[in-house]
Amino acid sequence: MVRHLIIGNSAAGITAAEILRRLDGRAGITVVSDEAEPAYSRCLLPDFLAGRKTGADLRIRPADFYAGNRIDRVSGRVLRVDPRSRQVLLENGGCLDYDRLLIATGARSAFPPVPGLSGPNVTGLRTLADARKIVQLAGNVRRVLVVGAGFVGLETAYALYNRGLEVTVVEKMPQILPGQFDATAAGILQRDMHAEGMRIILGAGIKEVLTPSGFLNFFNKSAQGVLLDNGDRLKADLIVVAAGIRPNVELVQDTGISTGRGITVDQFMRTSVPGVYAAGDVAETEDVVTGRVGLTPIWPNAVSQGKTAAWNMAGQPRPCSGSLGMQNAVEFREIPSIAMGITQGGDPGLEVVTAGQPGQNVYRKLVLRDNVIVGMILVGDISGAGVIGALIRKHADVRKFKDDILRGRFNYGYMLAEMRNAG
Amino acid sequence: MSNCGNCERTGTCVSVHGSINEMQDRASAMGVDTVFDRYQLQQPQCGFGMQGICCQLCSHGPCRITPKAQYGICGAGADTIVARNLLRLAVHGAAAYSHHLEELARTIKATAAGKTPFSIGDEEKLRQIAGIIGLDAARPAAELADQLADVLLSELRKGSDEPLALVKLFAPKTRLEAWEKLNVIPGGVLSEIRDALTKTMSNIDTDPVDLLLTTIRLSIATGYMGLVGTVTAQDILLGTPALTRSEADLGVIDPACVNIVAHGHVPLMATAVIQAAKTPELVKLAREAGAAGIKVYGSMCTGQELMQRSAGSAAGFAGQLGNWIVQELYVATGAVDLVMLDMNCSIPGLKAAADRFHTRLVSVDRIVRMAGVEDHVDYEPEKAARQAEELVKMAVETYKKRGKDIHVPQAKSAAVAGFSVESILGALGGSLDPLLDAVKNGSIKGIAAVVGCTNNRNGHDVKSVTITRELIKRDVLVINAGCCSSATQAEGLMTPEAANDAGPGLKAVCQALGIPPALNFGSCVDIGRIGVAVTAIANALGVDPSALPVAASAPEYLEQKAVADGVFAVAFGLLTHLGPVPPVTGSPLVTSILTKDVEGLTGGRVMVEEDPVKAAEAIYAHIMEKRRGLGI
Amino acid sequence: MKSIMIDLDACNGCLTCTLACAAAHSRSGSIVGAMQEKTPARIFIEAVNGRAVPVTCRHCEEPACAEACMTGAMRKDSLTGLVSNEGHEQKCVGCWMCIMACPYGAVTAHPRERVALKCDGCPGLPQPACVAACPNRALRYEEPAFFAAGRSRDAACSAAQAS
Repeated sequence: MVRHLIIGNSAAGITAAEILRRLDGRAGITVVSDEAEPAYSRCLLPDFLAGRKTGADLRIRPADFYAGNRIDRVSGRVLRVDPRSRQVLLENGGCLDYDRLLIATGARSAFPPVPGLSGPNVTGLRTLADARKIVQLAGNVRRVLVVGAGFVGLETAYALYNRGLEVTVVEKMPQILPGQFDATAAGILQRDMHAEGMRIILGAGIKEVLTPSGFLNFFNKSAQGVLLDNGDRLKADLIVVAAGIRPNVELVQDTGISTGRGITVDQFMRTSVPGVYAAGDVAETEDVVTGRVGLTPIWPNAVSQGKTAAWNMAGQPRPCSGSLGMQNAVEFREIPSIAMGITQGGDPGLEVVTAGQPGQNVYRKLVLRDNVIVGMILVGDISGAGVIGALIRKHADVRKFKDDILRGRFNYGYMLAEMRNAG
Repeated sequence: MSNCGNCERTGTCVSVHGSINEMQDRASAMGVDTVFDRYQLQQPQCGFGMQGICCQLCSHGPCRITPKAQYGICGAGADTIVARNLLRLAVHGAAAYSHHLEELARTIKATAAGKTPFSIGDEEKLRQIAGIIGLDAARPAAELADQLADVLLSELRKGSDEPLALVKLFAPKTRLEAWEKLNVIPGGVLSEIRDALTKTMSNIDTDPVDLLLTTIRLSIATGYMGLVGTVTAQDILLGTPALTRSEADLGVIDPACVNIVAHGHVPLMATAVIQAAKTPELVKLAREAGAAGIKVYGSMCTGQELMQRSAGSAAGFAGQLGNWIVQELYVATGAVDLVMLDMNCSIPGLKAAADRFHTRLVSVDRIVRMAGVEDHVDYEPEKAARQAEELVKMAVETYKKRGKDIHVPQAKSAAVAGFSVESILGALGGSLDPLLDAVKNGSIKGIAAVVGCTNNRNGHDVKSVTITRELIKRDVLVINAGCCSSATQAEGLMTPEAANDAGPGLKAVCQALGIPPALNFGSCVDIGRIGVAVTAIANALGVDPSALPVAASAPEYLEQKAVADGVFAVAFGLLTHLGPVPPVTGSPLVTSILTKDVEGLTGGRVMVEEDPVKAAEAIYAHIMEKRRGLGI
Repeated sequence: MKSIMIDLDACNGCLTCTLACAAAHSRSGSIVGAMQEKTPARIFIEAVNGRAVPVTCRHCEEPACAEACMTGAMRKDSLTGLVSNEGHEQKCVGCWMCIMACPYGAVTAHPRERVALKCDGCPGLPQPACVAACPNRALRYEEPAFFAAGRSRDAACSAAQAS
């Protein structure tokens, strides 16, 4: 009997466990995690914050999932992996043996090196524990400062705004969602947020968090606050940091398992050490568009990598289809939007075409290289986004359909018709 | 967005005309929906409807002919349903043409009584026609005109058992023989319409062959009354077209002026408005409002009627904006103050476009109504002068509300217009012989009438312009009428210089006569003029029209009047090309009759070909075959 | 396992399948009722240069929509093989990740509710409502192999295999 050990109980880990069971009815499968809860959706934490979901609502698998799939759960934090002895060492002193190991430890919130950015009223939003902490604090605060206008930051801002708090978002870059969206799309979404009543400060970073006593000197009031690098001061009773993530790689330090920012894996999710795999936010994979190796810390990629790891751990080699970077779907209020791949032009080899009426919250953008789509933004109408995603993944030559795609008329039928003509 | 799917260009390519693509971009950016946008939203369209095998007549329906259900609930098969649907389409066409003719007859009567701003425009033709139909041609013109109008009205209204005088008087003898055999010589048009409508009710006439013969009969009535009758009466009232020059395409719009567009098919109110717009007090009113003057433009067939007579009753006509598809887009220039909607082809989408700007829509025919359009200045012959003045004043008032966001494309083309049998005879020195000689010696291989509507099914005006180009290249003289005229005008094919695009034979003839290779015969009603011309040529050569090297093409046919026109052309003995596939393909019988069997009965037949180049080749082949038949 | 097979040549774009689908998912259960309720259809007749091409969920072996689903609501049932975001303990929240993931465009946003919409295979019916309603037999509910054998030259089967 093969013993599979999975560190991590989120998207990648739980998917791997599920598929391992499907592929091998007899294998031993153990999932170890420092979170006691059954697997839950981190993406739904803003819904928890907003009060729309309870902790139990966040579970991504049925209640009988672990028992039904005969998956052993171990609660505890893994300190170190020991590939030589094929063991992992737990913080509580225990150790677990494995034949094949999947590291799916994910990542944690990265805090920028800002003086004073710590303490009881400063938190990230990564875990259910973080969310519970924020909810607890939210009852006693009025002003919330969110650091970072990426997805997590904006979702958090919306959630807390919906709880009735005064929310200010501070973003270093000159637009919201700088990682995924271009200025036009960001402008549409930001207009919507402004209309809602949220304050967004762009192009400004946090220089220093002022302690209550320090702040008192400025305003003569007992409140905490921050000093921005443009000199402005903001009051804040609660600071949520959503300024990026840092993969949890410490457990493989000095083990011979190669790391970059995350754990380096090949297309079979194998690390540099035999028998050890990595998947999810902790793993560095190749981007299907850019070909560059890096982190693509989004849910579908984690699931896909967990799946690939499981197949290979079960002895059925299958490469990962590759990660599509920066894809994300958001719906702030009523405007659905999606971005995939390279969404900024600039490179002389890239062709950028746009359509729509940004003034009416409709915007479409395609970025192409030699008639192959390498990125897109859809705002307002996102139907068929996955079909375009498939074109990106396939590096399909779209010169015949470019305009139809841009105008939102392209659909899978075109591909059926092409196949039929070819056949 | 490309509708034809034939090229890989990005950017807007909905039309053969650059101006239209440009305006479509503007409309898109402004969020103004157009025919092009709504067309895309309608895709894909239901195959049962496309093939004509959907019947919605009774409450058992809708019934459709499917692989598992070969008959409707009543037992009607595909053949019956298709033929019945086709006849109903033709009825609509016949009715609309009849309305036009009635308005005209009423106007002639009122004019004869001195109660309109019009005068008898072609007294010679009045006397000639009066003589042919048995009136005393020596009577004073007013009296004669009044009598002629009475004859027209009584012809429209008499029973279906009383053969139409105009058919008997004007049809070539060989045609009459063929039609008598088929029992399709019609009586009074309104009675024919009644009979046809009655026949197409549930379970009255369910014989597909009889339904098709009825369609032919109704279409002959339409041809001789709605087309030939209307054209003739219109010439008598407004003058027969004489050669003239004009301009076409959206670039003719002058943003400095109060701009009125005459849109539709019936040029009566429009002619009165052109005359009113020239009166000093109204021009003064416009200047006081800050405008440089008042301009009246044409749209669709009303515009073609005006252009054709811009050397006479419509002097001052400011140019043709475009055809059916263009209506929303000229409004989107922001520089059109008032659109007067006369009968036929004012699309409901126009209102939404007008609301986006200041543009005022006014219906000028009692039967034209559009949701949201509250201004009705319904044409009444006796009040036309005052009504025209009122319209111009409305336009000046609306001009004052014009916004700043104005964009008029640069594109415009010169156009020679005013062709008619009479003006061609004039150009040829009073005889058809030079033209016939050119046909006989092969300089001109034949004549093709490229006529009818415009249609987005394969890109706006793409087919009509392509077929025209392909035909003239093959030394086939093209006659345009209807929305096709607007298409070729905007592309410069109605200039003498376009002869350079023609084959060597046609080019030489055009250059000798100083005429374009595509002759503007005017509106869709003016298809009647083509019938007159073909009849004249057939008589001159002493043969039946079906023996002539001529053909008809409706490359972008759209609506019901065109159905009646097309069937008339087939009945008249012409090869009749259709671009869009008519909704008959669900019936093998009807398809076979229209495209093959009918040729043995009338000499004409329908040819469906969506590819304009192939269509031109087929028309050319037909013409060459007829030449061989004539031994030329 | 039977699935919805598409015969491209036979589809004439009449949209009957979309009406039947809406009816089957409406409260009234009727076509007219569904039109009044504005029940959205879950099968689409797409236009390709004016030609009608039916597009609907293929209930993939490894559904990209389920992989992208961050709530666990979208799942493939191991017994029926049907992929659906309905009827599970986990609820769809309308994050549209599935819309972004589905390479067929078979998942759409509900026009009025914050929930993703897709073919549920009409559980409980002998065959999906769209198939039963198709007057042209362009949609069939068959074993892929059977369909392929019956129409070996048909491109629809190559499309089915491509999924």
